[in-house]
Amino acid sequence: MYQYDALDREMVADRAAEFRGQVARRLSGELTEDQFKPLRLMNGLYLQLHAYMLRVAIPYGALNPTQLRKLAGIGRTYDKGYGHFTTRQNLQFHWIKLRDTPDILDHLASVDMHAIQTSGNCIRNVTADPYAGATADEVDDPRVWAEVLRQWSSFHPEFSFLPRKFKFAITASPKDRTAARVHDIGLVMRQGRDGALGFEVIVGGGMGRTPYVGPTIREFLPVDQLLSYVEAILRVYNRHGRRDNKYKARIKILVAALGTEEFTRQVDAEWAKIGEGANLPEAEVARIRAAFAQTAFETLPTRSEAFEAARAATSGLARFARNNLKPHKRAGYTIVEISLKGIGETPGDASSEQMEVVADLGERYGQGDIRVTHEQNLVLPHIKLDDVPAVWAALKGAGIATPNVNLISDIIACPGLDYCALANARAISIAQNIAEKFRDQDRAEKVGELKIKISGCINACGHHHVGHIGILGVDKKGEEFYQLTLGGSGAEDASLGAMLGPALPYEKVAEAVDTLIEVYLRERKGDERFLDTFRRTGVAAFKEAVYADAH
Amino acid sequence: MKALTANRLSDGDVVFWNSGQWVERFADAQLFVDDDAAGPDAEAAGKAQSTVVIDVYLIDLIESEGFWAPLSYRERIRALGPTNHLHHGKQAEGGAMIEALQHAHGAARSTGRVNLIKRTK
Repeated sequence: MYQYDALDREMVADRAAEFRGQVARRLSGELTEDQFKPLRLMNGLYLQLHAYMLRVAIPYGALNPTQLRKLAGIGRTYDKGYGHFTTRQNLQFHWIKLRDTPDILDHLASVDMHAIQTSGNCIRNVTADPYAGATADEVDDPRVWAEVLRQWSSFHPEFSFLPRKFKFAITASPKDRTAARVHDIGLVMRQGRDGALGFEVIVGGGMGRTPYVGPTIREFLPVDQLLSYVEAILRVYNRHGRRDNKYKARIKILVAALGTEEFTRQVDAEWAKIGEGANLPEAEVARIRAAFAQTAFETLPTRSEAFEAARAATSGLARFARNNLKPHKRAGYTIVEISLKGIGETPGDASSEQMEVVADLGERYGQGDIRVTHEQNLVLPHIKLDDVPAVWAALKGAGIATPNVNLISDIIACPGLDYCALANARAISIAQNIAEKFRDQDRAEKVGELKIKISGCINACGHHHVGHIGILGVDKKGEEFYQLTLGGSGAEDASLGAMLGPALPYEKVAEAVDTLIEVYLRERKGDERFLDTFRRTGVAAFKEAVYADAH
Repeated sequence: MKALTANRLSDGDVVFWNSGQWVERFADAQLFVDDDAAGPDAEAAGKAQSTVVIDVYLIDLIESEGFWAPLSYRERIRALGPTNHLHHGKQAEGGAMIEALQHAHGAARSTGRVNLIKRTK
């Protein structure tokens, strides 16, 4: 993975030292809360319901074992022995004390980590395909370009006070695991007919109270033009994005207001002014690329006899292999996805012990490479098939071998009203109730791929708009109610879900999901996913079943 | 009835006002009669302690199992802890008062908090 140089280290250490002084001045009364709040937010520190929350940046979701062990240690020393992985591939600590934060930032800096640009109206952590560098279907390693964007956007003076926050996602695979089409800028790498690489540039997607699937404003941007082009986009946004209304300040509103054609025209005009000088020299791209070169692969047979024998002998491993292993580009290797969606557990939570087990496995079996997915899971991207039985056994021992990746209980849920100061309703316990209903793994596998995504308020941190089944918590005269949407997708076939009907009370939600599944199993043809069946049949049968006994 | 709540500056912990002091347990909170000026007076005094607490506001209470409990669900979660980790937060201590809060059914918006959000916009 990319290694910090002396300059990177100095910047992060300086920032931690600066925040130490700011915290001291706040505690002494030298700074008021109004003065201090923007400073703490620039360091990812929010006040939530029970305590402060510190959001730690994990650039494009990539961690080494030392970093993950450090996060585990911080969780144990300064939190309640756990951390929460988020849909931006970051990690949040939910029980942080302001007075401890300077020490925590020093700990993070000691392993080249920080909480910079995890809040505020700036370019946030760039997310990327968690299978980057491992999956067989990518045209390039998107981490190279995510790192280019990270370096370019870190402390970028022109883009530190945008009209609103700004999120990039980047993938180089036709199978989109980043929700690129619902980001401020989504970049999808493609290979041209002549073999050259370029990006499809999608701008103005987003969720929240005004969701959009972003339009493509350029079908093929040559990779070496990336920085000048995104600079042009950001300049148009910075100039014309609405600063008068927080709810209309995201770039999606600007793109929709101007129309794709006019927005693209303005970007192109700006791009022409910026010129080639803003692009990264080839040598620098090559330097960054070298940091991601995987050299430790062995030449192995495609089939591992040890793995096949273990799988045949152990049904639990067979089930895990069916659901949690994904094809690797190298023969004899596999991608192992670790579900943080244990039945009855909190989606995305990992205890310090679990983080340490994953760090150890990454170090021992996985070339020191660990990823976080935007679906709140972890990934060991380079595991030899021969080692899968040992990895599975260790995960099982730590309680994180749940074989449910992409199944109905692999649910995204925001922290919701249990933690978040903005939430209207709980999200976690809804996820737990649904997972409990589908505890029977045979039934879950029979249902197949199903993406349930739950948000506790309209800000949509739980990505409900793009859930095959989306669930939005609303406050109805102070009671928790939930609106269901069907047919959303955050993948390459992106779409926004359509409302099923009137909001349901808390205790009816899991039951309604169960009903939806029964309708799907009845209606599906062949190997259709829930999403495919819904798109073919429309909402009527689903709606009728859920609301049949409502009156 | 009302109580006065805030988050402590140094650690973010949920605290309640009692006679000029901030206490950690809802059970120890001072109660104010709805229209009594003592509530707003305490709120003003609490807000003046800006190096001790932040986000100071009054919350409405209802009766539950013979105790007073915050009316809004959000405020009960603040007084108890998250419902997904019952050993985290103040609820870990247990007892009749905690149970009364857990069983309380009133569910309305936290008006004090809504006002707070409006003010900070």
